[in-house]
Amino acid sequence: MKKKLLAVLLAASMTLSLAACGGGNDTKGGSESESSNAGTEQSAETEKESSSEEAEAPTEEAAADPSNGELVDGKFAETRKIVVEVYDRGNDGGSDPTNNMYTKYIQDGMMERYNVEVEFKGVSRWTEVEDINNLLAAGDAPDICVTYSYPTIQTYAAMGGVQDLSGYVEDYKELLPNLWDFLGETNIYWDKEPSTGALYAIEARRASTNRIATFVRRDWLEKLNIPEPTTRQEFEDMLIAFRDNAETLLGADADKMIPFSISYDVGWRAATIIESFRDPDITDRENYINGFDDRGITQEGTKEAIRLLNKWYNDNLIWKDFALYGSGDTTEGDLQKSGYVGAFIGNWDDPFRNGEDSVQLNLERLVSPDAAYIAVDCFEDSKGGYTKYAYGSTDRKIFFPTTNDEPLASMLYLEFITTPEVIEYLQIGDEGVTHNKLEGGAVEVIAATGDAIQNSGFNLDYTITCNGLQLVDDEATKKSIAYSYSGIAPELIEKADKVANTDARSSKNVQVGTIEAEEGIGTALGEKRDIIYDNAVIAPVDSFDQVWDDGVADYLKSGGQAIMDERAEKWVATYGDVDMLPE
Amino acid sequence: MKASSTKPSTAQKKQNFSVYMKRYWQLYVLLFLPMLYLLIFKYVPMVYIQIAFKKYSIVESVWNMPWAGNNGFEYFIKAFNNKDFINALRNTLMLNLLDLVVGFPAPIIFALILNELVFKKFKRVVQTVAYMPHFLSWVIIYGLALQIFAPSSGLVNMVLNNFGIEAIPFLNDSKHWVATYIFLGVWQNFGWGSIVYLAAIAGINSELYEAASVDGCGRFKKMWHITLPGIKPTIVVLLVMNLGNILGSGFDRPFAMQNNLVMDVAEVISTFVYKNGIQGLQFSLTTAVGFFQSVICVIFLLLANWISRRLGERGIW
Repeated sequence: MKKKLLAVLLAASMTLSLAACGGGNDTKGGSESESSNAGTEQSAETEKESSSEEAEAPTEEAAADPSNGELVDGKFAETRKIVVEVYDRGNDGGSDPTNNMYTKYIQDGMMERYNVEVEFKGVSRWTEVEDINNLLAAGDAPDICVTYSYPTIQTYAAMGGVQDLSGYVEDYKELLPNLWDFLGETNIYWDKEPSTGALYAIEARRASTNRIATFVRRDWLEKLNIPEPTTRQEFEDMLIAFRDNAETLLGADADKMIPFSISYDVGWRAATIIESFRDPDITDRENYINGFDDRGITQEGTKEAIRLLNKWYNDNLIWKDFALYGSGDTTEGDLQKSGYVGAFIGNWDDPFRNGEDSVQLNLERLVSPDAAYIAVDCFEDSKGGYTKYAYGSTDRKIFFPTTNDEPLASMLYLEFITTPEVIEYLQIGDEGVTHNKLEGGAVEVIAATGDAIQNSGFNLDYTITCNGLQLVDDEATKKSIAYSYSGIAPELIEKADKVANTDARSSKNVQVGTIEAEEGIGTALGEKRDIIYDNAVIAPVDSFDQVWDDGVADYLKSGGQAIMDERAEKWVATYGDVDMLPE
Repeated sequence: MKASSTKPSTAQKKQNFSVYMKRYWQLYVLLFLPMLYLLIFKYVPMVYIQIAFKKYSIVESVWNMPWAGNNGFEYFIKAFNNKDFINALRNTLMLNLLDLVVGFPAPIIFALILNELVFKKFKRVVQTVAYMPHFLSWVIIYGLALQIFAPSSGLVNMVLNNFGIEAIPFLNDSKHWVATYIFLGVWQNFGWGSIVYLAAIAGINSELYEAASVDGCGRFKKMWHITLPGIKPTIVVLLVMNLGNILGSGFDRPFAMQNNLVMDVAEVISTFVYKNGIQGLQFSLTTAVGFFQSVICVIFLLLANWISRRLGERGIW
């Protein structure tokens, strides 16, 4: 009796362990139809499914139904379900980005219009590339993914992990009028691979191309009787004045004085300086060859810009702790809010973002009602202008991983989210709750409380095809921009908008195909660049050259040079020996 | 060949086995679940070690991935040509050796001191307080360290500044960072690590101490001649296990404590693998690195065990 029981137990353990082993390798035996729990295989299967769907599409096209019989009166007969990525910014006092009144609005709308159930999956805004990498690697990515990093998409596409969207955008064109109308050929085909025609991502449209500006404390300038700086030298003199007058400006907190703050991401947080050192007449070719690193480490002039920061750091003009705090840390923001920081560089609207929790409104509450950050242009280029780079017309990149087995429902989601009325509602919400109508049609955003709080400016995390105010009425949009930050004086916004647009230029869209040297190396190189920048800034003045040169040599050796060489080569292969692309 | 002689003995063995099993089968049933756990989570994943020798693809089954160049060793060659990897290797060795040199004796000394304390209550309080850091995650410990050691806003440096002394770059200078890293590691672990030694000390025959007292031994003599030899086997086993881990490294401690200014000493293999593998998608390269690390660890473990047995100690098996 006992023997039998033992036998049964042993047999059970054997089968169990075999089954466990089989999870790893059952495709070897050719039993592909069996469903397995291993993520990689699952994605392989779904890819097969979706490709067979694609294959079917043309055969039934004769029926003049682009949805291939899946839709009845524009709706799915059976409820479909998709998962959509949404950025989680972790704001103080924000709402759950995956469950609030705006997500409900989208969910209800999708259910009503297409009979599609939508679930949101939060991904940290500040580590989005890393997070989406983890999700993709685990086969657990949302059906509709969003990222700012096209190289990430390319890397996964090369491994067969991303769907080719070219079939969908064409086949379902009739079902996607708003998407085509709003994004147009330009944004939809922006990332088309020139050699294969494959389309791994659709680019969202950026309504405002404003990118960066420099901010200084207006009330400090007034207190010390200094005019707004208009040159590099004046800016430096201003920082010195801040440092030397800490007692006057901060009183008992004088030892907390930070004339100029940057973060570990020096390339971004000194962007106006770095770009002012670049040749204003730089050729498109040169710009492209050095364009892999969006912080410009290999660009001409960057070294001199960092040398300037190095000098300032050693003159005690820069926040000493900048490199200790990583991405998404709020320490620097808290210092700005508490009024210890004299100047900084960042997004053109950085001090005004985040509603009640914005730097500006905190300053007014905590320091004084006169305290304000004002945008200034003070980094002149070699021609005396204020060259800075603006964004192109593109924004986030939307892609479907191969684990997405609802491509049509997902395309319809993009269509829904691009409908002008939907965009307008998500951006400005209900009248009297999140906005007021002003005379002349302008819309003024007011601070929302409770559930109506927007976690991102104009809910841009939900309007994934659109970044920037986009009302149904274009005229109203233009008039509304200065009123679009609740509680912030319109003249501060207008000034920042003006500065962000002065001498702004954008890089052109270069389509030369995949640069193989870039695959899988972006994160490592980006990290290396930050380390080089940080260490160069804090180096003693006389060893700056060595730290910088060693760092850049290492960067080039670790893959940077290979990327530049391949870019140069493919430029010639595609465009020939021209330096500039047509406008 | 030797059928005639072995046959009866195997039959004998079989019978012995079934008698044995009849008596102890419940214990084997108990063992079943842990074994299953080991099988599923430790052995099955080993199938994927082959990624180190293959070109990784996210959609292909691991058996179908194409072999890497250079007879499958492409990624090992790549790793050893990668300056960052060599750097991470060096740092891992350096930090672990320092940890061993500084961190290994700390709990032993602490246990010896605790053992000499006369007031039971005081001893318990000290013990509990010393255990506590073990339960804090490294993220929290680093958060505390930032509050205390940051160059301009840290407590220590603010005090120093007020005395007109220049700030000490505990976290933002490579050499100082290593010291801080080791110090925090010791601080977190010495209390917890002492538990094993205290248990071993409690197992020492108290008659030995009485006899030593009669012979006129003082505290230090007793410590040296009775307590330390008494816990020597425990020390050796732990030392062997620590040596086996000389190239291994936890992930959260270095990762939480890293910052861009000290990366030349702070990047270790585990963080290198995380950044280049999971974030950078170079799965084959980092599997190769991880595989290399494991092999070296096993070699160290075997070596240390062999040495300890040669020295007349028990070793770990």
